[in-house]
Amino acid sequence: MKNKINWNEIERTIGGLKFAVVVIVLFTICMIVGTFFESYFGTDFANRTIYKAPFFMLLQFGMFLSIIFAAFLRLPPKKRLYGFYTIHSGLVIIGIGSLITYVAGIDGHLTLPPNEMARKVVLSKDIFKITYPNEGKQVSTFLPYSFTETQMGQTYNNITIKRFIPFAEAKLTWIDSTFYKPSKNDPVQSSQYHYKNSFAEQDITLSLHPEANGDFPSTSSMGPLTFIYLPAKLAECFKRIGASKVIFLNSKTAECFTPEDRNIAAKLTATKKRFFPVSYNGSILTFFPDLSPLPMNQNAQASLNSELKTMSLASFEQKPTLFLFGKKASFYSKSEQKWQHEEFASINNSINLPWMGAEIKLIAHETNKLPFNMPAPTIPIQKNGSLIKGDLRAVELNISGKTFWVTNFNGLSLNIEGHNILLEVTKETLNLPFEVALTKFKMDKDPGTNMPASYESFVNLFQGSGSTNHHIFMNNPLKVQGYTLYQSSYQQNDNGSYNSTLTVNVDQGRPLKYLGSLMLVLGSIWHFNLNKKKKGISA
Amino acid sequence: MKIAFLILTLILSTNLFADNYFCKKELESLPIQQNGRVKPLYVHASEMIKMLTGKSHVNDMSAVEAYCLLSINGLGMKTDITLSARIDHVDLMKFLGLAKDQHTMAFEELITRFDSLKNEARTIKDNQSYRTAISNLMNAINTYQEIKVGENWMLAEKTGSANEVSWIPLTAYLTEAKVVAQKSLTPDDPFLPVILQSKDHYVSLKGDKYIVELYYAKAQLANWSLLITIIALASLVLFQNFNIALGFTLLSLIAQIVLVSLRVIISGRAPITNMYETVLVSGLGSLLLALLLGHFKKEKIFIYMGLGYNLCTLMMITFANGMLTATISPLVPVLRDNFWLSTHVTTIMLSYGALALSWVMANGALFKRKFRTLDRQEELRLGEVLYTTLKYGTTMLAAGIILGGVWADYSWGRFWGWDPKETWSLIVLCIYMAILHGRYTNWIKTDRFIAITAGAFMSVMMAWFGVNYILATGLHSYGFSEGGAVFLGSFFLLQTTFLVITRTKKSL
Repeated sequence: MKNKINWNEIERTIGGLKFAVVVIVLFTICMIVGTFFESYFGTDFANRTIYKAPFFMLLQFGMFLSIIFAAFLRLPPKKRLYGFYTIHSGLVIIGIGSLITYVAGIDGHLTLPPNEMARKVVLSKDIFKITYPNEGKQVSTFLPYSFTETQMGQTYNNITIKRFIPFAEAKLTWIDSTFYKPSKNDPVQSSQYHYKNSFAEQDITLSLHPEANGDFPSTSSMGPLTFIYLPAKLAECFKRIGASKVIFLNSKTAECFTPEDRNIAAKLTATKKRFFPVSYNGSILTFFPDLSPLPMNQNAQASLNSELKTMSLASFEQKPTLFLFGKKASFYSKSEQKWQHEEFASINNSINLPWMGAEIKLIAHETNKLPFNMPAPTIPIQKNGSLIKGDLRAVELNISGKTFWVTNFNGLSLNIEGHNILLEVTKETLNLPFEVALTKFKMDKDPGTNMPASYESFVNLFQGSGSTNHHIFMNNPLKVQGYTLYQSSYQQNDNGSYNSTLTVNVDQGRPLKYLGSLMLVLGSIWHFNLNKKKKGISA
Repeated sequence: MKIAFLILTLILSTNLFADNYFCKKELESLPIQQNGRVKPLYVHASEMIKMLTGKSHVNDMSAVEAYCLLSINGLGMKTDITLSARIDHVDLMKFLGLAKDQHTMAFEELITRFDSLKNEARTIKDNQSYRTAISNLMNAINTYQEIKVGENWMLAEKTGSANEVSWIPLTAYLTEAKVVAQKSLTPDDPFLPVILQSKDHYVSLKGDKYIVELYYAKAQLANWSLLITIIALASLVLFQNFNIALGFTLLSLIAQIVLVSLRVIISGRAPITNMYETVLVSGLGSLLLALLLGHFKKEKIFIYMGLGYNLCTLMMITFANGMLTATISPLVPVLRDNFWLSTHVTTIMLSYGALALSWVMANGALFKRKFRTLDRQEELRLGEVLYTTLKYGTTMLAAGIILGGVWADYSWGRFWGWDPKETWSLIVLCIYMAILHGRYTNWIKTDRFIAITAGAFMSVMMAWFGVNYILATGLHSYGFSEGGAVFLGSFFLLQTTFLVITRTKKSL
């Protein structure tokens, strides 16, 4: 008898008041924490830690059981409790409706560029996608819905997903190149600087390494100022700059010379354009430094694959330009009317620049290694409604013994064993059984201001039977084949036109949720009205 | 500059010079379009002067006179009006070199320091309130300059053949042709009639409905309601005359209904779109509810509760200007649905009003128990009244949350999205549900029930104000205002302290 489960006891416990209050209190505490998490760390983090976490689902299930059992305990029906039964059944029905929505519902976004057919709905789950463009093949896998980094170890062909970081922060690290083997004199240097003037300051990392990605360019600009990053050897030629203000450089060896070094005199064409004939590898190349960095042939066409190039510094005297060579820098001072050449004595040394109290500091310099934004797990931080830290989702891969990173901002394109592959961290998508095209986007503004008062999409809907016109705006969705399309947002394109964003939704649990809600409200009124007649509760 | 010269000569040739030029009282009813709405100049000038100086008058000049005199600087008329900004933030005062008791600085001087303020704002790392103070001051400086060049004062003019109104700034409106033409008719003052023509243009095309706002602003109904409510409460508490108190209560109720109705007429939407209006409506709603409950339950104590809470809301509306702004502004697109806005938000506000009644009552009972006498009989009776109030509050709250869900489902396709405001309203519902269950099954005894009810209202305050002032994210944070965090913090502290003090019963 000892091992026999006492079902009545369990029913009484779960249906009892103490269990109910404990579950409600726990549920409330979680929600309170959730709202603060959402405020500090963003919606996604709050969802992953609390609102959509398994323990929170379990708590909701606990409430569900408590509500059902409390009603069971008070059977057979008593007239006094009709309101109470209605409330509890309403809650149970809402719960079932929500579960159906959770399991089978669809909630995503459809972006409509002007006058283009669209049918791809972006859903909320993170996926890792491998595309073989030549084979026309695509495979994808769901990434875990966690809030900390997760070890995965999932393998497809020779690609292994080592781990997934849902909230990462890019940290600048210096790494060895993966494929490229630089020779001794190869100009593959990279440097990190800190630029500051009285209005702004910023870290700038520039690189000449062929494997450095777009985060680390060789030219960069900040307001009116342009940074141009050049091989270290070129600093000497800038120092020797002569009256011609022209430099020749060999892009392969990074060697350079000025016309004055080799006594090459400028000549003028019939139209008074100056040019320099330069002998190189036994042939004569003709350069027009004021027109093009490349040599011109007799038909006035540039030879695109020339190793030797030229540069006219005269054009950099008007607009603030800072030439950086790693540990050295050159710039034109308008007040002193001459080119100045400075050197960072060591790391963390600064150079003063002639533009409104600006200065630049060398933070790091590497001749062979390249800079890389290494994703590191972090806790996201939200400010003014958007994430200022931790908006990077990153996957670490191992492909044939080498480590690679793919993030939601930077995909990866590789050629492995003769196959082109494209790797991406993205969102799950769904193709609608119909197509929608935005024919017109209308935005009204509050009179005399730039604040939108309403935004509306006029769309063309293409189904098997043909096309129809519809007007979607706030509080006026379009219902088609079980899907409901709501106007939710918009973005302005570079050319001034607007993309409209619609929310696409399928909710099979909707009728149950409405029914349950109605029962809940009517039940409450019923309950309290009946209760009124029962005079006084003794303390 | 031609017009400036002309104006100068005209002014010298008339007797306007001595008497504030043409800045007269008649301008009050002039329509102006600013911040997306057409309103009387009186309202706009008052808002601007209040925003710039923190006061409603400039010395003995009315806001309209001051605004007008400042604006006509843009016409080249030199007026010696000086406005000073109100500066309260300690760090900002230090930065501007103000002495401890000196809280104002002339705008003309602030203009010269604009760049240094901008620089200072950029270098602040963590001090959020200081940054906000600087950015508010910079906005005020910009607005001051905009007014001073005559660009802020927009006047209505008929455009061509189409019967449309276009809005143009004062400097462009007051052309030489118009002034010269008028000079032959009214040589004493050719300016005021030209400017007032703008009103005729507007009224002939769009009607004069906007004038309602002038009466609304001048009637000061919030102040009157506050006064009447105080009198009603005083006759109840001090003079113990119930009938007179009831009379004044009804009078205050009528004043507040008129106040809310005028706002509805002016804005053309339900009066519940910012904190000012929600406080107003919850105060009005709870007073109405208290009168109804008191009548049907034959229980006078409801009037005490209703008046007590009504007093709190009216005090907030009248004195907490930094946190609650009375300005009527256009609505963000998502909220532009009068049906759902009025049903969902009104239900929630009425429920908050009902829960507030329970809060006043519970605290009153705690006070009486600790510092006066509260016998067992009365404690039980109060417990009953509290229970009744909570039933209404929670039923309406549940209904309001569901209506919100239905609205969200109807316009965004989701019933529930864990948005902070909706989550907090569910938290409030859960807390009161736990209390009601405990009370219903006698788990929570009456003496505890009173204290718990008093404390539970903190969750309402968090859902109502805290989400906007402390959490300030998510879809519902449209009504964000400054200074609310301090208010809320003080409320929590006071309420908790009071609960601790009254924890033990009066020792007999």
